[in-house]
Amino acid sequence: MRKALNKGLISLIFVGVCGSTFLMHNEVTAQSSNLFRTYKREVPQKLSETPESVAAGKKVYEKRCWYCHGIEGKGDGPAAVTMFPKPRNFTRNEYKVRSTAFGSVPTDEDLFRIITSGIEGTAMPFWSTISETERWQALYYVKTFNDQFTKDASPRVIPVGSVPSTPESIERGRELFKEMKCFECHGDDGRGNGPLTVALQTEWNMPYRARDLTKGWNFKGGNAIEDIYRTISTGFNETPMGSYLEKLSDEDRWHVAHYVKSIAKDMASDVVVKVKLFEGEQLPSEPLDENWSKATAVEIPLAGQILVSPRHWTPSVDAVMVRAFYNNDEIAFLLEWDDATNRQEEVFRDAISLQFPAKIPESLKKPYFAMGDSSGSVNLWSWKAHWQEGFGAIAEAPESEPGVATELNAKGFKNITVQPPESQNITGKGVYQNGRWKTVLKRTLTTEDVKGDIQFEVGRLIPVAFAIWDGSNSDVGGQKSVSSWYYVSLEKPVPKTVFVYVLVAIVMGASVEMWFIARLRRFPPKMEEEQE
Amino acid sequence: MPTPSTLMMWYMIMGVLAGLVYATTSNQKFVDFLSFLLPDRGPMIKSFLQKILFVGFPVLVGWFVYTWAIPGAASPVELRIQHPTLPQEFEKLENPFRQTDGETQRKCVEEGKILFQTYCRPCHGSKADGNGPFANSFRLRPINFQDPGTIATVVDNYLFWRIKEGGPGLPSESTPWDSAMPSWKDDLKDDEIWKIIMGEYDTAGVMPRQREKLE
Repeated sequence: MRKALNKGLISLIFVGVCGSTFLMHNEVTAQSSNLFRTYKREVPQKLSETPESVAAGKKVYEKRCWYCHGIEGKGDGPAAVTMFPKPRNFTRNEYKVRSTAFGSVPTDEDLFRIITSGIEGTAMPFWSTISETERWQALYYVKTFNDQFTKDASPRVIPVGSVPSTPESIERGRELFKEMKCFECHGDDGRGNGPLTVALQTEWNMPYRARDLTKGWNFKGGNAIEDIYRTISTGFNETPMGSYLEKLSDEDRWHVAHYVKSIAKDMASDVVVKVKLFEGEQLPSEPLDENWSKATAVEIPLAGQILVSPRHWTPSVDAVMVRAFYNNDEIAFLLEWDDATNRQEEVFRDAISLQFPAKIPESLKKPYFAMGDSSGSVNLWSWKAHWQEGFGAIAEAPESEPGVATELNAKGFKNITVQPPESQNITGKGVYQNGRWKTVLKRTLTTEDVKGDIQFEVGRLIPVAFAIWDGSNSDVGGQKSVSSWYYVSLEKPVPKTVFVYVLVAIVMGASVEMWFIARLRRFPPKMEEEQE
Repeated sequence: MPTPSTLMMWYMIMGVLAGLVYATTSNQKFVDFLSFLLPDRGPMIKSFLQKILFVGFPVLVGWFVYTWAIPGAASPVELRIQHPTLPQEFEKLENPFRQTDGETQRKCVEEGKILFQTYCRPCHGSKADGNGPFANSFRLRPINFQDPGTIATVVDNYLFWRIKEGGPGLPSESTPWDSAMPSWKDDLKDDEIWKIIMGEYDTAGVMPRQREKLE
């Protein structure tokens, strides 16, 4: 029996490997995950806190930490100018990620975990790359910056149990999110666009930004359910995010945590934006058209524009979601991005721009991904939000306003031209709703301006890059969030003949197989006489 | 890091070939290999595996034809040369701070580290490991300088060229249009660039390649 099994396995593995070989060849390679940090919970054996370890920690700190946190721990290191959020000031009790009560200092284990795992959405890296001893020593030195560590030695740790997530629990959490007025900072849909946050940012110019709870990759201290529960229980010191330990029962805090977890999403990134053939008369031109849900959404990560000065070190938009449709005449893109405020000023307006090469590249060579270069012109589709005098901007831009959607060409940052009125072909419409801009940009597939405009062709991979300006972050000109080259591809509909081919292939495969087996059975393989 | 599909394919082809070689090492093995398909009163599991094989093969052929025939949008293969040749005008340059006394060198390294943390950190990361906060947003990821295959294999001048000219200064076989490395020649003085290089090696914990001594 064992022998038969072995033989069977060899044959099976053989066929499996052959098959996968073919399949692998056709696989679309998606971009690797964005999450390179994980919040580690387990902490190794503590090093004893002695004057020697503090002195050794000073060396570690002055080798690795002071560039951001400052030589005196005040969060004012020389590199801090290029950061938002700013590095922690260790002379104050600003510690956010803790297992202890609001206002308390963190435990040594909390500090160790943060040093090991870093903090998502900030410049704090994961220091799991240096030895555990060095990490303990560095944190003992950091503790010397603030007396409170000696005054409240061994602070009380808030226990984290676990309660399973159920639809009822999430629903209860949603209600509590309203009752406890979480939306005042985090917004109705959790996008960090609550009225309090917006007022603090716009009227008072306070640096507090409530977390966008839909961006699961940006949670401070981790986005596991225990981490969310811990944050709700402990609050963040010296921020408007208080502790709900007293205000909510243990069970209720779990409900809220489950609700928050349910709205936190991962980034759905891919290299190619697949544009589907739209089945309908007219392509959707309204950002809120229900048809958009039928298109595949791809999220493109963005970073600050740091290629030429003025560089933007502290961008506030970190991703754009793209959907697109085409039909025989036109192509339409829906672009969505989170922006806590739609506040703008005349100069600093919310805006987005799509960039295509002016001509689909025939070879590998493309124009430079940021605004093209002298040998490669790019075609820019720019959309600007409507701006109105006064506090904040209105939510919807009238389509008729001139300059809302503009076509430009660029051959480098210093060589940008607006296309003449007769070759302006795009239309644009944007809506701001619940902390999110939704903008549609639409154009005919081909235009008469063959030199300046991208001419779309079905089945080709067409490079595309994105740029977003956030008016409330004083983004203007080169100060914007950008992506490098991605691709759009107008998908050919699957022709019916494909299924005929498949049927023929299956029949042929089966025939060959049956012929082979029949032959094998009629003339079974026999050992030659001289073999043992 | 995702495994490139071509690599997977090669491993699988090698797996198939190795299987074939194994099955044909002796006539006995080959006969056994083929006799699996013969009907005999084998155990239940054998006839079950035979059925899977019998149905599986045509389905696999069908699936292969399907994936081959549908119009798809696979990401393009983007090959590039990571280490192009250093242009001649940079070959003869010398880092003016490498030959100074220990105290000056230490000062230069420290100044370089400050500049590195200010300008290079957003992409290349505080540890020079290519994991800066902006790193995920560029499809051509920033280089991990701790990797022994990167700055440890080149001389100071090479970095000087890369920092000064950035992505746009790359030759076309290195796809300059994809690189997010800024060209720093307008914003940083040559001295500052040499210092950054010293700070960068120190932060990454590696040493530059030493020039071969000529007779």
